[in-house]
Amino acid sequence: MGALSIRNVKKSYGDTHILKGIDIEIDKGQFLILVGPSGCGKSTLLNMIAGLDDITSGEIAIGERVVNKLSPKDRDIAMVFQSYALYPNMTVRKNIAFGLDIRKVPKAEQDEIIGRVAKTLQIEHLLDRKPQQLSGGQRQRVAMGRALARNPSLFLFDEPLSNLDAKLRVEVRSEIKQLHQRLGTTIVYVTHDQIEAMTLGDRIAVMKDGEVKQFGTPQQIYDEPANMYVAGFIGSPPMNFIPCTLAEIDGRAAVTVDSGSGSHTLRLGPLSEAQRAFVGKSIVLGIRPEQLTDPASAHSDNPDLQEFDAIAEILEPTGPDTLVTLKLNGARAVARCHPSMALHTGVKMHLALDPSKAVMFDPATENRLA
Amino acid sequence: MADRNFSVGRTLIYAALVLMAVWYLAPLYVMLTTSLKSLDEIHSGNLLSLPHHFSLDAWFDAWGTDCVGSEDCTGAGMKGYFVNSLKMMVPAVLISTLIGAFNGYILSMWRFKGSDTFFMALLIGTFLPFQVVILPMAQVLAKLGIENSTGRLVLVHVVYGLQFTTLFFRNYYVTVPGELVKAARIDGAGFFRIFFKILLPLSIPTIMVCLIWQVTQIWNDFLFGVVFSSGEAQPITVGLNNLVNTSTGVKHYNVDMAAAIIAAIPTLFVYAVGSKYFVRGLTAGAVKG
Amino acid sequence: MTAQRQGAPGSTFNRLADIVLPKFVIAPTVIACLVGFYGFIAWTAWLSFTNSHMLPNYDWDGIARYQQLFEDERWWHSMQNLGVFGVLFIGISLGLGLLMAILLDQKIRGEGFLRTIYLYPMALSFIVTGTAWRWMLDPGFGLEKLVHDLGWTSFSFDWIVDPDKAIYTVVLAGVWQSSGFVMALFLAGLRGIDDSIIKAAQIDGASLPTIYARIIIPSLRPVFLSAFMILAHIAVKSFDLVMALTGGGPGFATDLPSIYMYQHSFTRNQLGLGAASAMMMLFTACAVVMPLLYSELRRDKRG
Repeated sequence: MGALSIRNVKKSYGDTHILKGIDIEIDKGQFLILVGPSGCGKSTLLNMIAGLDDITSGEIAIGERVVNKLSPKDRDIAMVFQSYALYPNMTVRKNIAFGLDIRKVPKAEQDEIIGRVAKTLQIEHLLDRKPQQLSGGQRQRVAMGRALARNPSLFLFDEPLSNLDAKLRVEVRSEIKQLHQRLGTTIVYVTHDQIEAMTLGDRIAVMKDGEVKQFGTPQQIYDEPANMYVAGFIGSPPMNFIPCTLAEIDGRAAVTVDSGSGSHTLRLGPLSEAQRAFVGKSIVLGIRPEQLTDPASAHSDNPDLQEFDAIAEILEPTGPDTLVTLKLNGARAVARCHPSMALHTGVKMHLALDPSKAVMFDPATENRLA
Repeated sequence: MADRNFSVGRTLIYAALVLMAVWYLAPLYVMLTTSLKSLDEIHSGNLLSLPHHFSLDAWFDAWGTDCVGSEDCTGAGMKGYFVNSLKMMVPAVLISTLIGAFNGYILSMWRFKGSDTFFMALLIGTFLPFQVVILPMAQVLAKLGIENSTGRLVLVHVVYGLQFTTLFFRNYYVTVPGELVKAARIDGAGFFRIFFKILLPLSIPTIMVCLIWQVTQIWNDFLFGVVFSSGEAQPITVGLNNLVNTSTGVKHYNVDMAAAIIAAIPTLFVYAVGSKYFVRGLTAGAVKG
Repeated sequence: MTAQRQGAPGSTFNRLADIVLPKFVIAPTVIACLVGFYGFIAWTAWLSFTNSHMLPNYDWDGIARYQQLFEDERWWHSMQNLGVFGVLFIGISLGLGLLMAILLDQKIRGEGFLRTIYLYPMALSFIVTGTAWRWMLDPGFGLEKLVHDLGWTSFSFDWIVDPDKAIYTVVLAGVWQSSGFVMALFLAGLRGIDDSIIKAAQIDGASLPTIYARIIIPSLRPVFLSAFMILAHIAVKSFDLVMALTGGGPGFATDLPSIYMYQHSFTRNQLGLGAASAMMMLFTACAVVMPLLYSELRRDKRG
């Protein structure tokens, strides 16, 4: 039984199709992330789960119940918004009690709930203040407290961290993770930030233009992206896409790359059926920056390690690494090198490639060749 | 642009501004002094001369229907008209403000198909010269059988005030984040609860602007007053105009001026008390396009 | 805890209520608007095509009333007056309002006090304004006498009874009432201008008058537009002011379409003609406002 089932849900306004058929199932206690750029439809989908927007066709079920026709109040959900949406003319206590009042929860029980929630989120000392007197992080906690007090079967988060500064974002993000681990609540979380998606989610739905481009666990999405869009969206710096021609050597895949200082043949893994069909044709090779590094840092006991030379065009020290931009087959590629390496722009450097996680894409459909 | 030193330039600027202020205040000064003079003094003196003998006779004359003083009096009876205006203004202002608040709430937070088009249609109404609706309105009022002048004026002022009151509230509510209403709906609040418990407490400045605007517009109106009311039941603007335009007999300038000031006092008072809201109302109403 | 988890009873009602209530509550206003504005305009239009006199008569009479209107010299004279009044009233109010706003923007001490004085005339009824200025411009006892008393005995200011000059007195009183409002609009506009643009111009070496002329005033374009539309609206509707100031006289010297309409509809029992003149007033208002709105909308779409 799924805690949330979205079955072929579509949403259009006249001729504009916002959501083109979404299918997602998650179990009780799972943390679902809806991630994608602005306009992909993730917020619309969240609003439809909440009941704030109508569904054009399809079904949404929370637990066993189909909720299409229910108003938000009756769906047993709670929501945390990007702008916190705290009622400005009420104290924190009243903000949390508002929903309880409407549901005619007895006063004694209300006090008990508010006390418990305030303790969990460490906002006890803020209960009698008004929202204007709170900082951004405090407001977000109060917003979560308001949601928590309702003890719903589904929690919805709409880009809750976007209004916080970078440092606070990291703090609150881990608080949300802790809360999830402790309470075991089912969560649907919308964000455009792929780091939040990877760190928080049990399941991620990567969306674009009203469709789910891939649905899976974070590791699946990272290691086995279904298409170039997902591959390029998740991971920072993004995956390198190198156009090349697929060849077969000794039953294994191989490609030739021009790194600006000569041509090199790189041997990759065994060929699958789908990949074999592309031998002799153009493909796009996907290599993540951490798979391209300096030989000293690479795992030297990896038998598949390939080494070659390239010209370093741009150097960007980040602290833990230095990102080196080079050209492979004319396409920009980024390598992650050890910061202590003595590198100079325009000078040839030695690189090591770990081909084990390289992926291949069909340039026409942009799908991965599995 | 900010040195506050006293150069020739700045002196000129101040001089110009003060001159303008004098120009604006002159009529008020003239009205006041004239109303406190006797007719003889008016004939012998000029606009600027102060009254030698301060006399409130003209005021009593203007206000009531009984006459005070040695001169032929006019029995102007501004008191009656003042009360008429009051009886009409208070309900009209309150009703149009309340309905406008609900309308603004709906047009910003509960939009539905056609609501934005409707808002545009309402907005276009603010450009109409009322001459183009008064003839049918007179017919409708007669058919509805509303004989009472005050009732007619209240109805007319509410109908034609809704465009502004709705505009004020809608323009304010669109600045309130929609997520506030979403959060309330998820908490379980319905249409009315959200309005009364969450939005209305936030709306105090807009309510002030709306009240002040409506009081000014309705109290100062003349066209509706002169078309839809008659005789003793007319509002003060009509009463004043009648008084001032009577061509029979001696012109009692002092009474005219006193009557004019009486007519002006309520809106001047509202202005004095709430001028910042007044300005907000004017500029908000102006930023329509 | 379980009390919070129930859902079903009354749930369809809640959803329906959220859909139906807003429409229900706004319905009266929708009706009032459709009937009271558009319906009545159509009604007036119909009347203008009939031969109604004291009571409405709904038989179609073609454009006879309009013909009658266009043949009436008084009507053309009133339109002409409206033109003269409109152009002067709008032009001077805009100019004066802008000037005062610029002056007030120069970090003046007592700015709030001055603003209050400039704006109070807007709180007055046009009837009060008309009455006050009628007195002040009275040929026997007003401005003329004052100047005589001050020594300049040959000064004459009988504009208010001079058929050629009376319309200018209406302009004077109108500007007095409305320029403060225009000033408030421009002041708000000036204050809304991004400081950094001005600083950039100063670094570029522009002098203050140049900055005003080439940067600030052009960026006030939307304010000009708003002020213009409101002033135009006031001008076309002008009825109260003229009634109190001159009564439309001397003779028909300050006659305006609004007075023409009122008198023919209500005192002369010529409803059809009055309706026709009202429709013409509507067309005039639209003719002035629509092109501006249109050009501004197009400008927004482009820019």
